[in-house]
Amino acid sequence: MTYAFFPGCSLDGAAKDYHRSTLAVAAKLGLDLPELKDWICCGSTAAHSSDPLLADALPAKSLSAAGGSTVAVACAACYSRLKTANHHIAGDAALRARVAHVVGRDYDGRTPVLHLLEILCRDIGTPRIAAAIRRPLTGLKVACYYGCLLTRPPEITNFDDAENPTLMDRLMEAAGAEPLVWPHKTECCGASFSITDSSIVLELTNKILAMAHAAGADCIATACSLCQLNLDMRQKDIESKFGRRYNLPVFYFTQLLGLAMGCQEDELSLSSLVVEPKALLQAKGIGR
Amino acid sequence: MTGGLASPIEIESIGGGLAFEVQERSGASPMSCYQCAKCSSGCPVAGRGDFKPHELVRLVQTDQRDAVLSSRFLWECTSCQTCATRCPQKVDIAAMVDALRAMSRAARSVAPSTAVPIFNDIFLDAVRERGRIFELELMIRFKLRSKRFFEDAGKAPMMLRKGKLPVSGTRVGGKEEREALFTRAAEGDAQ
Repeated sequence: MTYAFFPGCSLDGAAKDYHRSTLAVAAKLGLDLPELKDWICCGSTAAHSSDPLLADALPAKSLSAAGGSTVAVACAACYSRLKTANHHIAGDAALRARVAHVVGRDYDGRTPVLHLLEILCRDIGTPRIAAAIRRPLTGLKVACYYGCLLTRPPEITNFDDAENPTLMDRLMEAAGAEPLVWPHKTECCGASFSITDSSIVLELTNKILAMAHAAGADCIATACSLCQLNLDMRQKDIESKFGRRYNLPVFYFTQLLGLAMGCQEDELSLSSLVVEPKALLQAKGIGR
Repeated sequence: MTGGLASPIEIESIGGGLAFEVQERSGASPMSCYQCAKCSSGCPVAGRGDFKPHELVRLVQTDQRDAVLSSRFLWECTSCQTCATRCPQKVDIAAMVDALRAMSRAARSVAPSTAVPIFNDIFLDAVRERGRIFELELMIRFKLRSKRFFEDAGKAPMMLRKGKLPVSGTRVGGKEEREALFTRAAEGDAQ
């Protein structure tokens, strides 16, 4: 299976661990992810809150280069921007013409865009995932955290149930872990304020961590570069600001799948996690 | 008839220009809102802004242009789309907020407490220049422009240590083509 991979800017930076673990898991599954040629930034919140035409044109430029292949996306924010541009362009001929003028070539808005979770859970399917598991994550209680932009708005992303998505839960189950029922799966972590206003991020991530903790989670699994970074990196600040100490490891779901598939720890970049997962993994007999 | 209310509600202002302008720019339909406040119930920042989402929509309906365009809420909204997803009347509040942010900047009414417009400009300049975001450069440029040197000051060293902050960034070819794209987008907005 081959998809044109749109890693997004953060996977070459703060989320290099997501990038490496994605490729490690893909290799185990025979999934080919050649990078979409000369992809550019999706524009993120900066574009859609400044200039609606630019916010559609930037994704259109990348997606029109896919030549009909399905595009695979790792970051929830990129996913949202690419799918929103598709939705706008495919549904509005006048806008399509304006975007074509801005980009310098016509794009029909019909390049399929899928998140890694959709590809693994639906295209590959949980039976094949389960068959690739070498060291099941037995006894690991995982709070699967999807964040805001994978499921919302549902008429654009068409990802899964908007209030209670389960794609990641099903993958964790296939890997032998125990996905938890918990209510904050799709709450926002405040990622768009990561650089501009950390007080918002601290308030929101504290609520998510508190709920995962209350639900009895051993760890959190994420499917977005910014969600992972905020939930993992800010636990010390949360401790000083709110007096709550969680010490909850926050993995990319690809890191947990990779562990279960027998990938080496360095292939999964586990050392870049801020909250050390070693003690937890040892206690559960995971990894080695 | 004279007398009655000391300060009557100005019915004339309801359905004023702001709602139509927002609708024209964003495709959202603020006039469909019947104030159930479901948006505010799910909004992650409803407790911190000067207004809650349903209040902002009401102010748009009643044409309170200054209050809306200078609102702090516009710059504390996380764009998480919960409001738009749950609205029973399908008012796309998130799109409405995007349009209002642009209008707030154009009217020079941006709430003074926010650094978001500076960040957005730096971010988009970087996309135009490199094609992709180089996080370390983005963080440094933001600190220099916003003069917020101490907020999260410990984060960069920690991220460097964890290999989460590469010291060089990628550049995608086709810079001239990108410059032209940005210019045409700006011209397209003016039309």
